[in-house]
Amino acid sequence: MTAVAATTTAPGEPLALYRDDGPLARALGPLLGGVVRVPGPVLMLAAVVPLVAAIALTGDTASDGLAAAVVAWAVLAGGAAAGRPLGGRVRWTVPPAVRLLEYAGLLWLASLDGDAATRAAFVLLAVLAFRHYDLVYRLRFQGATPPRWLGDAALGWEGRLIALWLLLALDLLPAALWVAAGVLAVAFAADCVAGWKRFGRDARPLHFDDEEDEAA
Amino acid sequence: MSSRASVTEAAPRPGGAAAAGTSAILLATAPTDDGEPAAALACEDTTVLERLLAQLRDLGVGHATVITRPGWEDGLAARLGDAADVRPSPDAAADLRAIATVARGAGGDIVVLSGEIVTQREALAGLLADPRIATGILTGGGRRSALTFRVRTVRGKVMSAASPYHSVKDPTIGFLGVLKVAAADRGGLATAAERLAGLLEPAPDPAWMEELHRKGLQWRVRLATAKARGLVDEGEPEKEGPLERELPEEEPIPAEEVPLDADQEAKLRRRFTVAHEDVPSLLLVGLVRGGTHVSSTHLRRLFWSRPFSRDGVERAAGQILGYDEQKVLLDSAVKPSDGFFTTFFVSPYSKYIARWAARRGWTPNAVTVLSLGMGALAAAAFATGERWGLVAGALLLQASFTTDCVDGQLARFTRQFSRLGAWLDSTFDRTKEYAVFAGLAIGGTQMGQHVWLLAGAALTLQTVRHTVDFCYATVQHQVIGAASQPPLEQVRDVARRRARGAPPRPPRPLTPRRRLRRGLRSWHRFDEWDWVVWGKKAIAFPIGERFAAISLTAALFTPRVTFIVLLAWGGAAAVYQILGRILRSLA
Repeated sequence: MTAVAATTTAPGEPLALYRDDGPLARALGPLLGGVVRVPGPVLMLAAVVPLVAAIALTGDTASDGLAAAVVAWAVLAGGAAAGRPLGGRVRWTVPPAVRLLEYAGLLWLASLDGDAATRAAFVLLAVLAFRHYDLVYRLRFQGATPPRWLGDAALGWEGRLIALWLLLALDLLPAALWVAAGVLAVAFAADCVAGWKRFGRDARPLHFDDEEDEAA
Repeated sequence: MSSRASVTEAAPRPGGAAAAGTSAILLATAPTDDGEPAAALACEDTTVLERLLAQLRDLGVGHATVITRPGWEDGLAARLGDAADVRPSPDAAADLRAIATVARGAGGDIVVLSGEIVTQREALAGLLADPRIATGILTGGGRRSALTFRVRTVRGKVMSAASPYHSVKDPTIGFLGVLKVAAADRGGLATAAERLAGLLEPAPDPAWMEELHRKGLQWRVRLATAKARGLVDEGEPEKEGPLERELPEEEPIPAEEVPLDADQEAKLRRRFTVAHEDVPSLLLVGLVRGGTHVSSTHLRRLFWSRPFSRDGVERAAGQILGYDEQKVLLDSAVKPSDGFFTTFFVSPYSKYIARWAARRGWTPNAVTVLSLGMGALAAAAFATGERWGLVAGALLLQASFTTDCVDGQLARFTRQFSRLGAWLDSTFDRTKEYAVFAGLAIGGTQMGQHVWLLAGAALTLQTVRHTVDFCYATVQHQVIGAASQPPLEQVRDVARRRARGAPPRPPRPLTPRRRLRRGLRSWHRFDEWDWVVWGKKAIAFPIGERFAAISLTAALFTPRVTFIVLLAWGGAAAVYQILGRILRSLA
């Protein structure tokens, strides 16, 4: 990567960016990360396993209470991982584990409500996937990242899990999911267009890495 | 974005030119056996050097300097006229000082290259006209011509380079004597050239001479082997294929008494002469060891040769005529790292569509958008939930995927690269795939299946797999970026394990980590067979295989089957890749 747009947040550690933490995870990180002296990848494993087990064992019949416990554990363990130093040889496993936690969790919570909510959750996941790919591709091809406030407004992965559980408990699905997907889609797309417009105004050398060895 | 060259119906001319203000320094210092400059050998109806200069000019290189040996400058200057400044220089150190002086001056990119190279314009264009490469070199793999020194590249970055006096551990590819230095790196080039000149004067360090001697022994052995195998071994075209195994560095080489005939002894002497003065390879080592980011661009299937005799030039000219440059270029536009399905079922014909699009002056971005449109139509067809819709969707998805391959090939063919284009290409690929998932889920619902959950699971799996790819690549970049370079004086690119003549160290204990490394090495040994490599790629379930699986299962069965296949194959791929990468990370 060469130039970095002056108008946007300078990209820090890409792996931290790809986690897409919200305000809660960023607060939990320093709080728990200092106490729980376990490597980040291990914490993420501890966060993912109960969720996957709950999905496998209960499917769409889990009670709201079990869902609450699993979500709370995922947020605590995943949040603690946010506070652990991003060293270690397998540190690259952390962001994919966060994605698995978020997407599988959202899908499962919605499926507890029924087919209509599952369909809305698919659309929400597609919108979130746009953001998460955009984080990677814009950093790679533009050298820039979306503004921090946008990520915070989208609540981060942990905020979205908690919010969806609340909506499920309040029986607001699937309508609330459609609204969330719609609002986020507009926000992410608008930010992306604005980012490219900003980028187009300042000329910079066309020097970027063309990743050619991905599963694509 | 550079302006596209005008394209005619008859011969689509790949676009792109060197950056404005690019100048070239050519080294016409290697002699033939008759003591003439090898660069002045007759080639077609001109000379090797003039042919090369014309190619550079055609690529937009404005100014050229030719460095040659005293006594040759008048002859060359008379031939070249005002095509280039000819400067006499007595030896390699003086060559380097002359290059440093040029680099210290103001200006754009500088290309430093051997004046004896016979290749196609497009091979040079691949380095000079690729806007993504700032400072970089032309590389070619395969059967090693002793007239090239080798380099180790990781993800397109040169990590280590060899020269007559420097060795490289685990080389991956050969340096073909063409070095492009970005305007921003001119200072680095000048510093490297001055330091190298200082190290060559009055005479190179004994350790350097020892390394050259060691290489000489290797060349002797290789010449003898080449003779035994009946190979012509002079400036031969680079063939694709596995690299020859490097002779073990620490073991005594079968020594001086490997017999050579008179002809081969002459070849060996010439190699020494040429090696002593291989300024481009020295500069490359200087830049890499000095911490400059040097990219590499592959010759791909184009022709390259560095002949030193009349016969050699004639052979090269004959071979280069045998090349259908259009076809080779088109073949080169195909991404070398694609999966099995893309390589064998899409690229063979999509490249002709790319050429067709180039003739019509289509831009890669327009083709990318077209591909997205077809993907959306495929999703809509799938959403009908009727058999005809599933079949039509399958066909449209394949058409969309072919078009997707075309945009990249068109960009490489016409060298129109843009950051927005790269973003669009990547983002739209994902958009198409997930839109098709949605279409299939709607279609499945029409058919009375509950498939939204499966669709969501497939989306989750694919996004997680991509995130693994992104993050693993990020960490690899970080590791590469953190690698430190040994000083320029040092011959080897890694610390010497023991002094020569010292008693051998006892074998190191086999720690779990070394055992793991050994295991991974033997795993990679299977890569010698093509089918193993293709098999490994297929397990990874790349995009071509995924889209083929979607089309096939949707057309023949139901959306439910499609999602189950995607989850099963993708799940196996995830396990295989994540486990493999964890092991490699720990090794």
